[in-house]
Amino acid sequence: MTQPKSLPHGGFEPDVVIVGSGAAGGMAAYALTRAGIKTLVLEAGRDYDPVSESAMLKWNHEAPLRAISTPDKQFGYYDATAGGGWEVPGEPYVNAPGTTFRWWRSRMLGGRTNHWGRHVPRFGPYDFKGKSRDGFGADWPISYEDVAPYYDRTEKLIGVSGANSGLENHPDSSPGVLQPPSKPRVSELMIQAAAADLGIPCVPSHYAILTRAIEHRHAPRQACFYATPCGRGCAIGAAFQTTTSLLPMALGTGKLRIVTNAMVSRVVTDARGRAKGVEYFDRTTGSTHFTAARVVVLAASACESAKILFNSHTAQSPQGLANSSGQIGRSLMDSTGTDIFGHIPALEGRPRYNEDGKDNAHLYIPFWLYKEQAAGKLDFPRAYHYEIGGRFEMPGARFGLAGAEDGYGLSLKQDARRYYGAQVSFSVRGEMVPNADSYCELDPDAKDKYGLPVLRFHWKWSDHEYRQIAHGVKTAKQIIERMGGRVLTPEMPPEQAIQSGGEIIHEVGTTRMGSSAADSVTDGFGKTWDIDNLVIVDGGVFPSNAHKNPTLTIMALAWRSMDHLASRMRKGEI
Amino acid sequence: MTEISRRVTLAWIAAASASAFAAGPSKAAQNGSPSPWNDAAVPPITVPGYGHDPDLKAAAVPWPLTLNPHQRAILRLAADLMLPADARSPSGGSLPLDAFLDEWISAPYPQQQQDRALIVPGLAWLDEEAGRRLGLDFVSASDAQRRAVFDTVAFRDKVLPGYEQPAQFFARLRGLMLAGFYTLPEGIADIGYLGNTPLSGDYPGPTPEAMANLNASLIKLGLKPFSPG
Ligand SMILES: Cc1cc2nc3c(=O)[nH]c(=O)nc-3n(C[C@H](O)[C@H](O)[C@H](O)COP(=O)(O)OP(=O)(O)OC[C@H]3O[C@@H](n4cnc5c(N)ncnc54)[C@H](O)[C@@H]3O)c2cc1C
Ligand code: SF4
Repeated sequence: MTQPKSLPHGGFEPDVVIVGSGAAGGMAAYALTRAGIKTLVLEAGRDYDPVSESAMLKWNHEAPLRAISTPDKQFGYYDATAGGGWEVPGEPYVNAPGTTFRWWRSRMLGGRTNHWGRHVPRFGPYDFKGKSRDGFGADWPISYEDVAPYYDRTEKLIGVSGANSGLENHPDSSPGVLQPPSKPRVSELMIQAAAADLGIPCVPSHYAILTRAIEHRHAPRQACFYATPCGRGCAIGAAFQTTTSLLPMALGTGKLRIVTNAMVSRVVTDARGRAKGVEYFDRTTGSTHFTAARVVVLAASACESAKILFNSHTAQSPQGLANSSGQIGRSLMDSTGTDIFGHIPALEGRPRYNEDGKDNAHLYIPFWLYKEQAAGKLDFPRAYHYEIGGRFEMPGARFGLAGAEDGYGLSLKQDARRYYGAQVSFSVRGEMVPNADSYCELDPDAKDKYGLPVLRFHWKWSDHEYRQIAHGVKTAKQIIERMGGRVLTPEMPPEQAIQSGGEIIHEVGTTRMGSSAADSVTDGFGKTWDIDNLVIVDGGVFPSNAHKNPTLTIMALAWRSMDHLASRMRKGEI
Repeated sequence: MTEISRRVTLAWIAAASASAFAAGPSKAAQNGSPSPWNDAAVPPITVPGYGHDPDLKAAAVPWPLTLNPHQRAILRLAADLMLPADARSPSGGSLPLDAFLDEWISAPYPQQQQDRALIVPGLAWLDEEAGRRLGLDFVSASDAQRRAVFDTVAFRDKVLPGYEQPAQFFARLRGLMLAGFYTLPEGIADIGYLGNTPLSGDYPGPTPEAMANLNASLIKLGLKPFSPG
């Protein structure tokens, strides 16, 4: 590695350097700059502007191959992901023999917030204390009550539409926090009716999608106009992404600088073992640079931050920086997932209307069996939910008749009209119990294009997850059948039905927080036990991974941790 | 997302494969023996794709098209048969489905290359089969004669023994033509997709007519209807 040459950020000397500009980094930058702290964000990806770049209102036939996913654009041509996907050119990762973990990354300002699903359920009280409830995994060192005020503030700031359900372990937001929910579509209502008949709730979902505009001098955001899938990035700012909200808001304070194409390779420490800055590659030239700061905040996403710490090893900490517990890379978790599809004759040929809506189901099925689970009546310990689907979708390259295509001629056209909008889907998203066989480490041989060792993943589901998936599949089939529907998904064992590790893109846990330096990497504020001025704010800090999609919690925790950091800095503790 | 992804489809195919080929011993082909299936000479596409970070607002197909005029003519005629004109939309052959198929099978990506290895020999097979039966190629045959060729492979329960591979080609051709057709403005109007239009104000939700239809269905299913409006 060559020696640092220059400071390419115009002489700006930051107090804090943040690595990454996605959900975690964006929130950290927002919280620090509003506390008046001079902050530098280093982002590996290129600059990105959804206002000018996202393909709003484009039709599928205007894109190559009707916009279908290809190895170049793995979620379709119009998906906002720049420079990434399941593989990032020049930045490989490795799977240990016999295991599969898939790692979705992007290389753009704003990270994966530019194209994520925006489903933002809150964790509930049980979700922070899983081990106390059932003996598995690890408790969090903090409780729901610690995070609740930050959930309210985060929901209000990022803009969440939905409604409170009042259900067990699905906490309500405080009055005035949520924006109005959107009216459900016909198939969602039919699922709701069938589910109700089976004693299963189906309630308004929470999405980080505005149904009311948010005025802001530096980041004005419009309400959703109910057209264009959010995965393309939302040029009007209705779907939350840091590039149209937290980053411009933070820049507006005058306290923030952002450097893109800055790939951080390691945290640099001084003789006393304290962080003194980071070293990074300019991705466009390959040159290396050093940036000094009083505090280093890692927000590169769970596995990336673990990788940076591994690669920051020193003579004093040969197993990686801040790794005296040996927990870096361990406890890697994703959500469980599988999809169940059904064809519903009662939805065939139904009256047409515009079903675009917010680009996600306006209802969802939260977990409803906590009492049964606590009473030992279920054969799996952790909860799941269903994200449901079914609507008159913009026809795309996979347009089809649910496997009923036959013959040719006028009957084929008639079948297409009849089948359109008559399919429903249930996506199971469940909590996994962390296990000793699921972790990441540095591969001893493989290197990326910068010459840095890359991650090697190990992965294994356990019977907890298989039994949960089996329950989710069975129950979804019951709902489909209650609608008089035909289940399209063939019978398969849960070992086959469950998606691969990483595929739900909720990877967390690799730098977990805890109440003791012996078995965790950070305290309850993301501060590493070993290094006082090194803080982690991404999903790496999760000791467990509730079935509820993680990003709202990542952001609420990042804000909380940065408030804590700001007060320590104010008090002169750092 | 409700779209059934390719990954899911592959898992299903794997699950179904145990039963799929339990059709019993093949009877002697009626109508003589089918034309041979020749997939020997389909050169793969080696040009680059559009890359990881293409311009999303100025989309362009960077790879050259590879079908010849005769193949495109077969596709147009096949599209007319597959999706004929009716009161709600024009015929497949009158829309640029041949161009879509050409773009598709000329793309350098694995799924499209796999389809290429099915579609290109399939088009040749249509000619051969027409020739074997009539001494004409597919393009020169009459509409009724082309139908006779289609009928050997188009109906899943009536595929004649020995025609399995052409039937697989036909099913894929049908799938691609359906997707190509219903993604074009004419197909979108036909199917009745009413979205991709920015709205101001709150999302209006189902129309009264759609709610009435839903409620009628719920009552039939013995489920509780919603109050209208
Ligand atoms: C298609 C999709 C749908 C999703 N749907 C949902 C959903 O509905 N709900 C939900 O809660 N979550 C969802 N997620 C997950 C969500 O996107 C992530 O949880 C969230 O983005 C994590 O935030 P992060 O800041 O940790 O990581 P990211 O958003 O990935 O941001 C990390 C940033 O750090 C940068 N970086 C990485 N390494 C370095 C380095 N060495 N130096 C400098 N910069 C670096 C990256 O380029 C990136 O920009 C979805 C994800 C995808 C892909
Ligand atoms: S559905 Fe709404 S929020 Fe999503 S991209 Fe379209 S306008 Fe934006």
